[in-house]
Order: sequence, then C-alpha cells, then structure tokens
Amino acid sequence: MTIPTCSAPIARGDIELSSFPDILPAQDSIWDVGVAIDLKAVEQLATDQSSLKAAAALAKPAKWSGVGASQDGALIWGECAGSGANPYRVMADLRDLGNKCTCPSRKFPCKHVLGLLWLNAEAVVPFVPADTPAWVSDWLGRRRGTTAAKPASNAPSTEKDLGAARAGEPEVAEDPKDVARREAQAAKRNEDTERAIFDALDALEQWIGDQLRMGLAGFIDDATARCRRIAARLVDGKAAVLAGRIDELPSRLLALAAGDRPRGAVVELGKLVLLARAFRAAPRDAEIRRAVAASETREIVLADPQAQRVDARWEVLAEQVQTRRDGLVSQTTWLLNLAVTGPRFAMLLDFFPASAGRRGSVFTPGERFQAELVFYPSQQPLRALLVRRDASEAISALEWPASDTALSDALTRPLLAEPWVIETPLLLPKGRIARDDAGQMWWRSADGTATLPIASEVDGLLCGTELSRAAAIWSGNRLTILAARTRWGRIGCHE
Amino acid sequence: MSDAITAETIYDAMGAVLTRWTMGSMAAPAASFWRAELGDDPAEAELRLLALAGQFLSTAVTTEPSAALRVLPDIPALALPTVPETLRPLVRRILATKKQGKVKTDLLYFLAARGWTSHPADWMPEADDEDAPDVYAKWRDWAAIAASNSAARRQTDDRLTAENWDDFWPAARKVALIELRRREPSAARAVLEARLAGENADVRWRLLSLLAERLSDDDLTFLEAIAANDRAPRVKALATSLLARLGRGSAAGEDTAELAGFFAVKTMGLLRRARVVQAEPLKTPAQSLRRKALFDGADFASFADALGLAPQELIAAWDWNADRAADAALVDLIMATGTDAQVTQAADAVNERDAPGLIISLAERLAPGERARHAEAALNTRDIRFELVQLIAGTAARLRDPLSATTGKALLAALQRDDAKPSDHTEELHALGLIVSREGARGALERLTGAGLLHGDPRLDMLRLNAALDDKGAKP
Repeated sequence: MTIPTCSAPIARGDIELSSFPDILPAQDSIWDVGVAIDLKAVEQLATDQSSLKAAAALAKPAKWSGVGASQDGALIWGECAGSGANPYRVMADLRDLGNKCTCPSRKFPCKHVLGLLWLNAEAVVPFVPADTPAWVSDWLGRRRGTTAAKPASNAPSTEKDLGAARAGEPEVAEDPKDVARREAQAAKRNEDTERAIFDALDALEQWIGDQLRMGLAGFIDDATARCRRIAARLVDGKAAVLAGRIDELPSRLLALAAGDRPRGAVVELGKLVLLARAFRAAPRDAEIRRAVAASETREIVLADPQAQRVDARWEVLAEQVQTRRDGLVSQTTWLLNLAVTGPRFAMLLDFFPASAGRRGSVFTPGERFQAELVFYPSQQPLRALLVRRDASEAISALEWPASDTALSDALTRPLLAEPWVIETPLLLPKGRIARDDAGQMWWRSADGTATLPIASEVDGLLCGTELSRAAAIWSGNRLTILAARTRWGRIGCHE
Repeated sequence: MSDAITAETIYDAMGAVLTRWTMGSMAAPAASFWRAELGDDPAEAELRLLALAGQFLSTAVTTEPSAALRVLPDIPALALPTVPETLRPLVRRILATKKQGKVKTDLLYFLAARGWTSHPADWMPEADDEDAPDVYAKWRDWAAIAASNSAARRQTDDRLTAENWDDFWPAARKVALIELRRREPSAARAVLEARLAGENADVRWRLLSLLAERLSDDDLTFLEAIAANDRAPRVKALATSLLARLGRGSAAGEDTAELAGFFAVKTMGLLRRARVVQAEPLKTPAQSLRRKALFDGADFASFADALGLAPQELIAAWDWNADRAADAALVDLIMATGTDAQVTQAADAVNERDAPGLIISLAERLAPGERARHAEAALNTRDIRFELVQLIAGTAARLRDPLSATTGKALLAALQRDDAKPSDHTEELHALGLIVSREGARGALERLTGAGLLHGDPRLDMLRLNAALDDKGAKP
C-alpha cells in the first residue's frame, strides 16, 4: 500500500500537515473507499528506534484481540496485551493518524498505537468492518480539533529503520559461566530481599505492639500519620505490597461507623500479624509473597504450568479505580465466570502512576466475552491475567449462575486459607436492599436468614426492585454491591 | 485450643478485650481461656491475642440492624416500555455528555413522543422534577416515597375524586387530573374547587394551569373566585389570564386606553379600506418602559377593544416587523390572555411576515401538528438554525427531510470544509436528530456519513438513536 501525496495544503488543528505530505494517508471526501496507510507512516510517527522495534514485536496476531475498523475504514481499533492484567485499548483515526491508547506510556504515540498501525499497514490481521465501539466514539467526541499525529521530528527517517526494527536482536550464545554468575547474583539478591523483609516485619510487629500499648483510641485518631510512618519503613524493607495495604488502612477504618472502629482496628491489625507470621513460616510461598512483597511478573505467571487456566464466558461486573496514598492508581476489573464450574470470579489488577493521568476504562460493565484467563497460583484463585479474549458477544439472555455455597460459608471460608485477605467477592442469592431508621443501607436475603450492612449509600433502582442475584465485595464486615440481576435486567452500581 | 471454649465464651470476653486495647491496657488477662495458646511472653501474648481476636471479630461477629428495616416498594412499570437494551448505551451517552437540563428534558420528551421511556438504571426523575414528561409520574412518586418516611398511599382507583385526593401521590394526582380534565372537564374543575385551597401556592399554580385544556365558560365562576380570593398573587394572575382567554378580561380601563394611545389605526390601499395598526414612534426610554408596563397589565381582548377592533382584526391589521418590541409584547399578550384560536391566527400571521422568533414564543400553545407545520414552513422559507426549528417544532415533530432545506445544505457544506473540527455543529446535529422523522434520520445519516462524518461520530448519536428507535408514538 502506498500513500499518495496530498494535493492541497490541509490545516489540521495546530499543525500544518502539508509540511508532512508523505505521512498522511490518501484522503477522499468520501471515506467509504477506506483509507490506506503504509509502513513509512508508522516509521515517521515513531518517536525513536526503540519504539519502532517494540512496535514490530507487537505486530503479531497473538498480541491482539477485538481488532476492527469502522464501516468507512477511517477508524481502526484493537486490544493489545500489555504487561498488566488488563489489555490496552488502542485506537487510531487513519484520516489524520490521530490516536489514543490506554497504556500509561509517556511516549506519543506509544508502541501499541504503532503496532496497531503496523498490523493495518501490512494487513497482518483482518480489520473486520464493524460498528464503532462506544469507547472509540467516546474518544472521537473528546478530540478537540483534529490533532493530527505529528511526526516525531523532521530528521531524516533513516534514523529510524524499519528493517532494523524487524530484525530484532541477534542471538548470542551465552557463556555458561555468565549464566552461573547471574544465577548466583539473583539468589543473593533474593536472600537479601528476604532478610530485609524479615527485618521490616519485625519492625511491623513492634509497631503493632506499640499501638496496643498506646491505646487503639489514639491509633484511630492518628491512624493516617502512624500508618504512613510504618508504611515507609516497610517500603525500605522491600515489603511494598504490605506497605500499600497499610497506607490504605486508615481510609478503610474511617469508612466504618465511629463505634465500630475499635473492632475494625483489631481486625486490620490482627490480619497483619497473621500475614507477618505466615511469611516467616513460608517466605518462598508465591501467594504469601504476593501479599507482602511483590507479585510475579506476567511472564512468570504465563510460563507457570501450575497456574490454572480457565477458558470461559465472562461478564464484566465492574471496574474500580482508586488513587492510593502511595501515588499509584489501582485499576481493578471484576469478572464473573458464567460457567457452572471453575473459579466464580476473576480480578484483573493493574497499577499505574497517578501522574500518568486519567486512564480510560478497559471494559464496559455488563460486557460479555469468551476469554482465557490464567490465575495467579493460589489456594483460592482470584487474581488473574487475560491471555486471550474473543470479540464481545451480543447481549445474551444467559442468566448468572447460582451461588454455590451457603452465604455464611462464603463469607468465612476464604479466611481459612488466607486469613489476611481484605476483600472477598460474593455471589449473593435473591435479596433486597433495605434501610434502617438511621439511613444505613442493608442487603437482606429473600429468606430473611442473612442481613449484611452495605458500605455506601445506594439509591435509585437498586433500592426499588428485588435483586435475583447480586455480585458484591465483602470487605471489613461491609458489602459493596458491584452489579445485580433484576427484573429490569442487569444493573450496575455505578451506571 | 481447648474444645471447651465456645464462641459465646470468646464473644463475652471480646468486650473487655476491646475496651482494654482501646485504653492501652494489656488484654491477654481478659482472655484467660486462651492462656495456653497465648504463651507466657506478655508482648507475644498480646500479638497472638490480636490475631485470634481479629479473626473472631471478622468472622463470627457481624453487625445487625438495630431496628426494623424499611423496604421500598418496587419501582413500578410505566405505561410506555423502556428503550430496547441495544439502544441504552446511546441513551446513556446522550444523557451523560449533555449536561444541560434542556437537552436531557428534550431527550426524555422525544422518547415519550416515540412511545418509549428511559431505563430506570439510566435515568430516574426526582420527586420534584416538574420538567419530566407525565409518563414518569409513577417514578416521581416512587422517589417521593423513597425520600419520605411514609409508606405508599392507598391509591386504588385511577379516577381522581375530591374524596380520594389524598390517596394519590402528587405526580400521579396531576396526571389523573389531566386525564379527568380531558374526559370530563367539569368533574376536574369540581375536584379542584374542593381541594385546591389545601395545597401550597406552587402546587395551586401548577394544578390551576391544567384548566387551560378544554377551558370553557363553565369555569368562569371558579376562576373568578380564585382571581378574587387566592392568597398568592401568582395564582391570582394565572386565574386572571385564564379568564381573559374566555373573554372576561378586565374591562377596558384607563391603562388599556393609554396603551392603545401608543398605537394608531390607519387605513391604507387604494380604497382606504384595509386597516393597519402601527406603533407610534417612541421618543424616550421612559415611554418605552411605560408601554411595556402597560402591556404587562393588559389583556388582549380589551386592548383590541380599546383600538376599536375585534381581536382577530387586530392580529390581521398588526404591522409586523416595524417595531420588534411591540411585536414581542403583543405576542406575549396573546400568549397570556388570547384564546387558542387567536394564538393559532397570530402564529399564521407571524409566519407570513417572516418572524420565526415570534413563532417560538407562540409555539408552546400550538397543537403539535401546528408546531410541525410552522417548523416545516420556517425551514423551507428561510435560513434558520435547527436548534430554533426544534424550539418551534417541539419534541413530537417528525420532519421529513430537513437536510434538504437551506439550513441543511449549509450545514453539510460547513461539515465538509477543510478546517472543520470534530466538535463543530454538535448542537445543530443534535437538534436535527430531535426534529426529524425516523425515515428522515436514516436519510440524514446516509448523507452526513457520505459527506465525510464517521459512522461512530458522537455528534450523530441523536440521529442514530432516532433512526434505530421504532416510532410507536402518536403522530401529530
């Protein structure tokens, strides 16, 4: 495919694209003939050779799902597997090469956009004409002026070389001595890390003892500052995940009614003791390590033959985005497995720096698709990575599965295996929202055997209809409803 | 752990344990039943007790509601179905991206006119949402029930009477009154006669305004009593206005004569038979203000009478477009105090004189069919923005091909300009989506995408919704 030169200068947004006649695709006033780009455009858009090289690595069908193009061929989109649990949503307007990706990269365009354009230019995968997804339309609506993609520089394109990008690194035979030395260094690092964590956990237990000695009343009043101090110590001690958890402890505590906070503090601090002891007992246990230090990388989980893989039909329950005190934003996508067996829930968890700005949602609540997930090895598989995802399905009448355990069991059983967990997803049986005189909301089962307090105010439809099923998070003795099935169909908590 | 330790034992001890820790005392002595598990080291015992107590309190102890719980009644189904599931994302996006209340209200009226309602998860009215279409009355009342502490009232009959007035929640009552007025005007008035005084001024004003439908001489006595005795000036003014529509305006007094003095009735034409009412030139701002004040206090029939003309003669003889302020004041006067026939006549006259701004003022009292006719006429005779056409047409119009009118052609040309931006003409395209028929929307989408707009362009959301939505509404 080639790019004919634009015949007339076209002002687009704040740059004069006629200065770059060879980067723009052929434009026709009528777009139903489609829009063609070629690799030269990708090369010129790339900010540097490393972007181009990374894009070449992404220009493979296996990395992508949900690839499509608008009926007129002007818009293309796709979802690209990144290093996180959630894929990135990538979209581009071929008329002016405007583009958007949900990844946190500061490069513009990022390698995913370049990869998508590469797929399109070389027709690596078919871009099936389809209705424009809402997330692409939303982006289109937010664009102010056609902010045409600017070539990285006016430098000759020879500085970035497609051929070299394609070629990849030459294979170099490794010296066995180097391998042994590297392994020894890694083992030493692991030992150092472990020792640092042990020290940090000693400090944590000391700190917990201090809080009890000084009184929980004072701790509750001053929780933010005190937790910040020990969290900083834990970060130094390589227990970053635990630090993040303690940083968020005050906000969980403050969400409780004042009278319930001493109980909440005991539960929170008690779980920390349990986790610290569990780590000491099994410092190499991946699951415990994940709760204290760091999670395995995507590559390690994908390569782990023990990691459970589940190919099923999933429904997106909700997405929770939270800005944490440590400057990270956590993005949690909750999925419900619609199959009869297998893990009932999956949680796709990603972190990115708050400074990277607001990130687009990856999924639409209520969306259903067939996908293969790989779960992080665990006694209770929950956290997962998306391995493969098929195109979204049309809304189907398939009901949610029944909750498979008694509610009291579902509330407590996870704590037998992991007594330190904070959040437990639940599939609640038929029930309804009710309110007490003080305005506190409660979920009550239809048979009247269970009544659970709801974490936050809910209103509207959720309170005015029977919930034949509800998916919720049980956390800190309170319930957060994610979505429910009702006679009005599926309703989400934040829709 | 000893088998003899029961949950009750632990539970009983937890109060003391929590109290001690809250105060900063050692708690292990309060849990002596765990002595073996906690060990001899006091510091270690506290941590072990913390782990055990935390686990117990997070699993075995759950909060219970302190008093009886209140369950709200089911949100009732409405008379019209909710929009098809596949179109809900479009509805949500229009509701979400357009912050202005008018756009939301227009969309809801559009849906109602096409025979649909929003899904309650996408939008529900508040109890006091007077702008919501009447079809949502049951949801408004549900919101009122949710906000109050009382249970649902005992409405057993859709027919409103003075006796069952209190059984209705306010929005349902209003709808029942509208129904009754359409069916049996005097029965509706009788209900109001018995019940109006018990309501507050805002409600009295809103309920009284419903008498505009099928207004007749039978209402005279009631309206006169309100005009004379109601406590609220606003309600009195409304009753006076309704009386004026029945030809019972205040008799031509000095003020009306003074107002007539600002105008001259002249004859024109070869035979000097045609009459024309012309505004006398205003010399000072004070005169302008005085004339306006006189218009505000006048009624149309008396004004015509003071000029020596029948009301329909005044409309026919008015010299439109010569004094815009006088035109606007006359139109307001007709709107407030003219009969339906006079409003229709004025709209036709204004339309002939090419004054679409005045039609917009009159549109609210025109029948939906009349509004559509004037909108079509305005489009076909002049370059008028779709947003203004929509104000004339209302939300029940189904114009066939607005894009072929001058405005549409100009819009298409503007969209194809090289310097066109993706956010240009958003409001115009939205308004187009509201006024056009379903078939027209499909044709417009074809032409707009043919002109270079993308199928997924969010500016086309309203058109796409219109094109996709089955039109099941009553046609004007």
